[in-house]
Amino acid sequence: MNSLVITRTGTHLTVQDFGRFHYQHLGVSPSGAMDQRIIKELEKIIPLHHNQFIEFAYVGPSIKVKEGSVKVCVGGNCNMNIQKNNGTQIMCQPYKSINLFEGDELNIHNTIETVYGYIAVEHGLGLNPCLKSFSTDTKAGIGSINRPLKVDDTFEILEDVSSWDHLSIPNPTYKKETNFKVYPGPQLQFFTDQALQSFISTTFTISAQSDRMGIRLKGEAILSSESHDILSEGILPGSIQVPSDGQPIVLMRDIPCTGGYPKIAILKEKDISKISQLPPGSQITFDLQTIY
Amino acid sequence: MVLDFGDDSSKSISIEVNKAFSTIANLGLPLLNIIPSFNKIVIIFENSQIRDQNKEKITLEMSEIKSQSHKSAHKKWKIPACYDESFALDLKLIQKLHHITKEEIINLHTSESYYTYYIGFMPGFPYLGDIPSQLITPRLATPRINIPARSIGIAKNHTCIYPKISPGGWNIIGQIPFDIFDLQNPNPSLFLPGDKVSFYSVNHKEFQQIQKKHFSINELIKEYSS
Repeated sequence: MNSLVITRTGTHLTVQDFGRFHYQHLGVSPSGAMDQRIIKELEKIIPLHHNQFIEFAYVGPSIKVKEGSVKVCVGGNCNMNIQKNNGTQIMCQPYKSINLFEGDELNIHNTIETVYGYIAVEHGLGLNPCLKSFSTDTKAGIGSINRPLKVDDTFEILEDVSSWDHLSIPNPTYKKETNFKVYPGPQLQFFTDQALQSFISTTFTISAQSDRMGIRLKGEAILSSESHDILSEGILPGSIQVPSDGQPIVLMRDIPCTGGYPKIAILKEKDISKISQLPPGSQITFDLQTIY
Repeated sequence: MVLDFGDDSSKSISIEVNKAFSTIANLGLPLLNIIPSFNKIVIIFENSQIRDQNKEKITLEMSEIKSQSHKSAHKKWKIPACYDESFALDLKLIQKLHHITKEEIINLHTSESYYTYYIGFMPGFPYLGDIPSQLITPRLATPRINIPARSIGIAKNHTCIYPKISPGGWNIIGQIPFDIFDLQNPNPSLFLPGDKVSFYSVNHKEFQQIQKKHFSINELIKEYSS
């Protein structure tokens, strides 16, 4: 038996995977990792992740091997070190496999100029799926663990590490993008040419109220010429909705399943991951494409 | 991909929506999510290639649905509800607004069999309607932070049940004695779009007796639906 325990939580620590699908008609949001590019990369080093990744925002957790040994890998742009059982401290890097033995503690500090980071553990975290997924939606209380992780949460990993070989991949270079191509949303016609013009010419600032549900933007008010209250309809991550205050919200992974605000535009899937990594205060612009 | 059924939220449109929803959902297409609402169905594919490969099939199916008469597989529910003051947080407000008695509210709310437009807002939350016109009430001016789980609400021409504790702006008029969403069940939601739901009034003692039975979703189906 091998086990890992959380000794410090960091912030917004949850279990995530590539998303929970096929249940949105019952009010269940897709959830899943905010930056899916990173867990895709981690898959190259820890192929046996069993779809159980730990996600953190800004500050990572400390995890300690309580029993046995485990192989882990961290993804994202972050600082970290290992406090060995014998008291020595060693530096370690993301995107390189890390072998941890009984008593070793991995401390992940802050993410650098980004928001989200991930931990993959070989053979997963010993969890059972909930509605066919390991993702957590803390607002809806759905997940293998239906809440943020806390200190003393322990994961039992039945299988042993397959190999002590060190694996690594070059750090993926994610260019920090601030201009996003967007495509016409279902209520584009609710906005006059003038409103659309100000949508593409405004530099929006990402608000600190952003979370896994949505990224809130601050900037010139974009007002609909019709209504800001439509009949609720199905929505998907990446949709940019505009409530009556004219401040757009980019809907993210923990979306409410239906929404009643007009949607001016929609982001591409890969840009949902990109935009999730921009910390509050970042400035972004949109480039509205006419061809879908 | 969006299937649009018009600009209104009428029951006849919703019946069309739910007919199309169950047909398309049963085609076994490689879709990630299919989300019905009052007047639309949003279908989500993994990528635009898969969408384009399946678009034609769905369009074809849609034209056939229109000409078919639909055999309803939807359930009819009779749900016990307790309208006691301890649960009915906004009963006084509604009495005052419409100048009616508590008994009249209960009689009106239990008089109709409601149509399940769709499930949304939170896991398992049914949008039911339409309620008798004498009960039509706007949402609360200030939403509550915590609405107790299993509460029955009304807002505009709809009524609902909150599956679990939640913030929300519906006027609370009662409570039901069991859970309507169970994550342990592969079919987690008690209600499905298109189901008919009516309520009958139970007193506090009867409410507690049912509550104590801790019915599972499958037992509830046996006990309260036909």
